[in-house]
Amino acid sequence: MKRSVLVPLALFQFMLISFPVMADVSVSMRLDREEATIADSINIMVSIAGARESDSMPVLKGIEDFYVTQGGTSSRFEVINGQVNSGIDYSFFLQPKKTGTFVIGPVEIAVGGKTYRSNKATLKVVKQPESTGADRGPLFLTAGLSSAKVYVEEQSIYTLRLYHQTRVSNISLELPETEHLTFRQLGKPIEYRSFYNGLSYDVVEIRYVLIPPEEGIYKIEPSRMKMTVAQPERRSRRGFFDDSLFFSKGRSVAVASEPMELNVLPLPGEGKPSDFSGLVGSFKINSKLEPDTIKAGESATLTVFVSGRGNVNRIPDLKWPEPDHIKVYADEPVLEVKEDAEGLSGSKTMKWALVPGKEGRYKIPSLSLSFFDTKTNQYRKIETSRFCISALPGEVKQIQASTDHSNGQKIEGPVKKAVKELGHDILPIHASIKDIGKGSLIRPGGLVFWFVFIGPFFIYAVAFLGLKLRKRSGGSIALLTAKKAAKKFIKKCRQDGLSSNDLALCFRNYLNERFGLSLGSLTSEEAAEILKSEGVSLDTAQKIQAILKGLEDAVYTGKGQNACELREEASQLVRQIEKEIR
Amino acid sequence: MKRSICLSIAIFFMVCFFGPDIIALQTSESEELFFSSNQAYRQGHFQEAIDGYDQLIRSGHKDGNFYYNLGNAYFRLDQLGRAILNYERARLLMPGDADLNFNLSYARDKTLDDVSESQDLVSMTFFWLKDLSLGELLLCFAILNFLFWTAFLIRLFFKFEWTYYVSIISLILWIIAGTSFGLKWSQLNTDNRAVILEQEVNILAGPDMRDTVLFKLHAGTIVHYERSEDGWSLVSLPDKKRGWVKAGSVEPVITEANGSLALLKTGA
Repeated sequence: MKRSVLVPLALFQFMLISFPVMADVSVSMRLDREEATIADSINIMVSIAGARESDSMPVLKGIEDFYVTQGGTSSRFEVINGQVNSGIDYSFFLQPKKTGTFVIGPVEIAVGGKTYRSNKATLKVVKQPESTGADRGPLFLTAGLSSAKVYVEEQSIYTLRLYHQTRVSNISLELPETEHLTFRQLGKPIEYRSFYNGLSYDVVEIRYVLIPPEEGIYKIEPSRMKMTVAQPERRSRRGFFDDSLFFSKGRSVAVASEPMELNVLPLPGEGKPSDFSGLVGSFKINSKLEPDTIKAGESATLTVFVSGRGNVNRIPDLKWPEPDHIKVYADEPVLEVKEDAEGLSGSKTMKWALVPGKEGRYKIPSLSLSFFDTKTNQYRKIETSRFCISALPGEVKQIQASTDHSNGQKIEGPVKKAVKELGHDILPIHASIKDIGKGSLIRPGGLVFWFVFIGPFFIYAVAFLGLKLRKRSGGSIALLTAKKAAKKFIKKCRQDGLSSNDLALCFRNYLNERFGLSLGSLTSEEAAEILKSEGVSLDTAQKIQAILKGLEDAVYTGKGQNACELREEASQLVRQIEKEIR
Repeated sequence: MKRSICLSIAIFFMVCFFGPDIIALQTSESEELFFSSNQAYRQGHFQEAIDGYDQLIRSGHKDGNFYYNLGNAYFRLDQLGRAILNYERARLLMPGDADLNFNLSYARDKTLDDVSESQDLVSMTFFWLKDLSLGELLLCFAILNFLFWTAFLIRLFFKFEWTYYVSIISLILWIIAGTSFGLKWSQLNTDNRAVILEQEVNILAGPDMRDTVLFKLHAGTIVHYERSEDGWSLVSLPDKKRGWVKAGSVEPVITEANGSLALLKTGA
């Protein structure tokens, strides 16, 4: 048990010791707000990531016009999915000495003998709002526009501030609905402390950007905020648990801001460029060509970067005419939109791959973009730099020819090069023609045509009919023979001096001819069986069997010299057979 | 009676003895004209060469090589429309000729209009039809017809297993060859392609010069010829564009003189 507890602890200790500096060190600085009054206290948080200790305290630049108080230090150490993150946070409070816009930073700090610098931040310090004379109480909501008069598509910041001296929770906001005007929230709500009419308040600030699409006067109705306000209970006995944090009642309160008016002016018609992009704000364009010297057939990348503040969603995809002998392949443009306290800003990156077809020096035309500058209230045109691309002679792909022989040896051959077309033309006329005036061998209606198409069919038809006829005629002969067999037998029976053996032979011939058989010898039983199988009645078959038995006896006993007695009966039985099998 | 019999016999013998000589004489003249036209072409007298090849074709010699050479001569005179027209006609007679296909492809590359013909299911299934002439398909069908009936004849007398399989295979091939021939015949009879001959022509909404110009076409573009009316031809494009053009500015690839029957009779 002890062991199982000690091992993770030892590992944790090992990690703490072995990773004093885990990753790349970075320093960042963050203000709790971007605009403050002269009476406010602004919090600066300096975060050092990737180190658990610094060599010295951070040095803040650009704070000459502020009183500085240190807030405290905290260190972080976390292991997430095996990834160790550590850092230190330093907190400072600034008290402005005067109004104005100040650039705070960078913060410099030494970690592991190396000095790191943070980002900068801008802080606008304004005068403290004049006292209205009226006490607005412990809870109220204010609304403000960064500019009440803007041009179409120019952005204006709508700021809501909730001032409260009591604890509030469950805040919900109901924004006004104004036609053609949408409120796009800028970041998360921020909380700070500020003064109003000489009183200290906790402030919750939410900012929205408004981009009016059409000119006119937009009436912005009051925004409404609902929340639960903590109400401490009155107790006779005061103590630690009397704190409102633990024992308080909440009551639902709604506050509203004042109505506003936004005057949207149309963009001036004077000086409006024909290729005006619709962009309103402040924009700049940068471009670069890398590399500017390549071989023919290789590609260089032209990058155009349009960035600025304003309606950045409307930055157009720039297009330019394809220069001669250069193939241009455009990449999908990438638009990035950022939101900050000042509104929308962003950039669009467009890239083209340029492939010169042959060697030479090519001028890359510049690209331009026009927009309405809200700082100067004038239209401006910005252009990319002009570039030249130098294409050196292309490297022809060389294929090392080698012949793989059956014995496995490879013999190096001459170096082969891709065939290069030097000119274009049609191929020459056909000067020799075989058999002018002669048509093809097979022509419809010609002898060969009939022979080839009809001949085989005709031959087949003749052969088929011949075979059929032959088969049919063979059957007829057999039928005639069968029909004649009875007559032949009866005629034979009428002859004088017919012996028993002759009569037996006659009967055998009769059966052969009548039923298409080829019997060499015939017994009485066989004869009866044949007759029965051919459809003769049992009685007749038995009678024939008896006669043939008698004839056999007569032949084998030497009494068969004369078969007169059986001739008549045999004739009658044959007639009977004919009747029965007809 | 006797007289007429004698006359018939005499004519028969004359045809038998002198007929081949007459044909040979004609052939010799044609050969002479062909070679002189070739000579004119080589010397750069393209119009003279055109006249010669044209005369050969009009005299009934529907040889693909004549159309090919005629197309070359027109190409040299920068008459792209007529060059493509004659290459297309040559292609009906010798679709597998490599020189012809090269020159036709090169000439097509020089045309200005991007008009592409989509392939139908039949053309994709019977993909060999475009590379074989009607005469070649007829020859294939004739050979397979002979094999087919021979196989069945053998089967009639010898009912072995192998004769059964040979008969079935020859039957399948016979059907394919017969269908191919029939389809090619049908294609040629329904081929209404025509070629724009002038450098640029206006395609109008109606058969009148005052009608609205719908679009323009350029020499060598292949259109579908529908009908003619008062010296105007109604043509259409694969993308359903239609309009009227002056009859002399466009010429059908297949005419009555070189239609499928004529192709067969002249032994294409």
